[in-house]
Amino acid sequence: MADYSLLISGLADVFTLTNLLFIVIGVTLGQLVGATPGLSIIMALAIAVPLTYGLDTLTAIAFLISVNKGGTVGGAVPSILLNVPGTPESAATALDGYPMAQKGKPMKAMKYALYHSVLGDLSSDVVLILLAAPLAVVALKMGPVEISALMILAFTIISGLVGDSMIKGLIAASFGILLATVGLDPGMASPRFTFGMLELYDGVPLTAVSIGALAMSGVLVGLISLQGKPGSQSAIQITGRPREDSVVTFAEFFANRYVALRAFIIGTIIGAIPGLGSTTAGFLSYSVNKQAAKDPEAFGTGDARGIAASETANSAVVGANLIPLLTLGIPGNIAAALLVSAFMIHGMQPGPLLFEEQGRLIYGMFGAMLIANFCNLGVGQFGMRFWALIVSAPGTVIYPAAMLLCFAGSYVITGATFGVYVMICAAIFGYLMRSFGFSIVAFIVAFLLTPQLENSVLKARLIMDDDLSLLLDHPVALALLAMAVASVVFLGPKKKSRRSDIPAATGQ
Amino acid sequence: MIDCKVLIVSATACLLANAALASECPDGFPSDNVNFQVGFGAGGGTDTVARKVASDLEMATGWTVVVENMPGASGGVMARGLTKKNPDGLTIGVVSNTTVAINPHVNPDIGYTHEDFKYLGTGMVLNYGLVTLEENPYDTLEEFVAMAKEKGRATVSVGASSHTIAVDAIAEHFGIRLVSIPGKGSAAALQEALGGHVDATIQGTQHVPQIKAGKMVQLATLTENRAVYAPDAKTLQESGVDLSIEGHIIFIAPKETPDDIAACLASHIMDVTTSDDYADYMEGLEASAGNMGVQGTTDWVASASAFYGDRLAK
Repeated sequence: MADYSLLISGLADVFTLTNLLFIVIGVTLGQLVGATPGLSIIMALAIAVPLTYGLDTLTAIAFLISVNKGGTVGGAVPSILLNVPGTPESAATALDGYPMAQKGKPMKAMKYALYHSVLGDLSSDVVLILLAAPLAVVALKMGPVEISALMILAFTIISGLVGDSMIKGLIAASFGILLATVGLDPGMASPRFTFGMLELYDGVPLTAVSIGALAMSGVLVGLISLQGKPGSQSAIQITGRPREDSVVTFAEFFANRYVALRAFIIGTIIGAIPGLGSTTAGFLSYSVNKQAAKDPEAFGTGDARGIAASETANSAVVGANLIPLLTLGIPGNIAAALLVSAFMIHGMQPGPLLFEEQGRLIYGMFGAMLIANFCNLGVGQFGMRFWALIVSAPGTVIYPAAMLLCFAGSYVITGATFGVYVMICAAIFGYLMRSFGFSIVAFIVAFLLTPQLENSVLKARLIMDDDLSLLLDHPVALALLAMAVASVVFLGPKKKSRRSDIPAATGQ
Repeated sequence: MIDCKVLIVSATACLLANAALASECPDGFPSDNVNFQVGFGAGGGTDTVARKVASDLEMATGWTVVVENMPGASGGVMARGLTKKNPDGLTIGVVSNTTVAINPHVNPDIGYTHEDFKYLGTGMVLNYGLVTLEENPYDTLEEFVAMAKEKGRATVSVGASSHTIAVDAIAEHFGIRLVSIPGKGSAAALQEALGGHVDATIQGTQHVPQIKAGKMVQLATLTENRAVYAPDAKTLQESGVDLSIEGHIIFIAPKETPDDIAACLASHIMDVTTSDDYADYMEGLEASAGNMGVQGTTDWVASASAFYGDRLAK
């Protein structure tokens, strides 16, 4: 069993003034970068890694992990205030966060996001610390066949996002699937729908599409509604709100416990499986919680449960992502890959020997992670007031500012104007979808999941040599497929009759 | 001007700075920031090498070296753009062998060949190996082949098209059916092998800690010489397969870059990549620098391009 003296000394190592200072700086930097649309947490980490060369190993790693954690909290802020996701994983937060802010409760929405984000992060860290080794083994057993089944299940769950018309929802999702096929196919690497454009070889950039379809199209709607209303007031009022609209009481927080629990489980599982990522977790958790709710039509109208579902899940990924990284040496996403390069600079080789060779350092890192979560809470509480000031500007200021952020964000993704063109096309497309009542979320989620589905189905076919009877050797996959069938049979028709006249797409 | 005060990281870097003085650069070069354009995203192997070389170059020369990521089409987007850049030596591409030796053969839209660049040297060599889980009942290439013959087929997860070529060559030589399971990068391929979903995988560096921990065994080494970390694994050539592949991270400049500027850049890159500090860094990544120099890189890329062109035409 665990060597407790190692654990204690490791945890004690982290309590130095320098370490605590760097954790606070890291969290603040991460929140700032995360809150700025276009500056991704990946960039912040890439730039921060060389800064840590001269630091002590534990300080360096504590700093980088704090930047990463701060980023997940910060990303929610512009999602809620401007409907522009600061980071792709907070896109699902905008679905309910922005409507809640529009209803005059921006502080409340941000607090929901902050508390649930920290809760998700903290819980998944605890899981990491206690259960890393066994969980990593379980996650590894999720091979291409199982991932294919999981993706099929995800698609059926997401059918709950289609909005008031099944046909329109399916059309929107089909567009997402079609767009996802652009680029080199994963098997033979032959170009599809690239029209000779090298930039399209890796597919249409996800972030540019989501910024365009979700944020920029919303800005267009806002700008058009501003027309002929000179001197119109702030898009979102911060000040002069009654106290109950600005605070989240413990009772309100506790009311979302089941939502948070589901979101936490989804986030942790998705995080432990390398390659799926926080964005998938956020949307999946949102869909599952919407399906599970008694009144799914309330989602998308500024429901706290929507914020809780998205933020808890995408933050739970952060801790869980380190499970395959630390125990197997496999980075679960790009942020984790950057952490690997930082680990190696400081002489830590992530992988099966890490706990044996560097146990004390790892427990020090765990300690830093726990501290970083509380710093996140503190810095977040303070930072929100600052952000709230910024958005109390009138719409005539906010929309152009948001537009600038949209342009900057999509430029940074590709390092070229190509991303901007994609974003503009997606914005026009998104605007038309909004105008004609198609679900943008169904479109984005289908676009996000299709490459994973295609890739894993291709691998699964090759591994099973197209012999479907071999599926019997994969009981987990069979169980997931059965759940997919069940979700279509039981949730589909029931939802259809229950679906009200409120469209599920964002910002309608 | 070289400011040795900032060189607190290591004393070798200061020595390096003096060595750098020896290499002649034309007067007034660089007139502006030097830009490293990485053909891959932030956080990957190519990016890691580019950022390390850039920061060492800054310390050694006092230049400002800016690292930009321009991912797409395995470095193809950046490389094609580079051919159209002003050949003033201020824009340097950082790519992998796939970008220059394989891309032009597989992608008709790529718009360049390996002859469209000046080569300034290399920053990291990847020693590929065919590896499998320790618990599998085969520990050598021969046993692996026997297993594949008995079962009718075996699966090998790969992270790049050059790996597929190696898998096909092994299958052809031994007359067995090997199925390449394509994945997005080596990490995904390793994950499938560790989970036991495939029979083996081709890896560059990430498998080394697994071998050291006794979780994986190297069935065959794909480079010319045996790997230091797996001295018992025979190379493919020793097993009779006429194939050796290795990967490099390569520094390139537009073809028309003046010779004196290219020589200056190449000698600075050589100084940086042969320092002790750099060697330590590479050791941490389970790799080595292996800078082949200007002529060595140019020749190696030409022969690699011919090899892959030949293989892919089949």
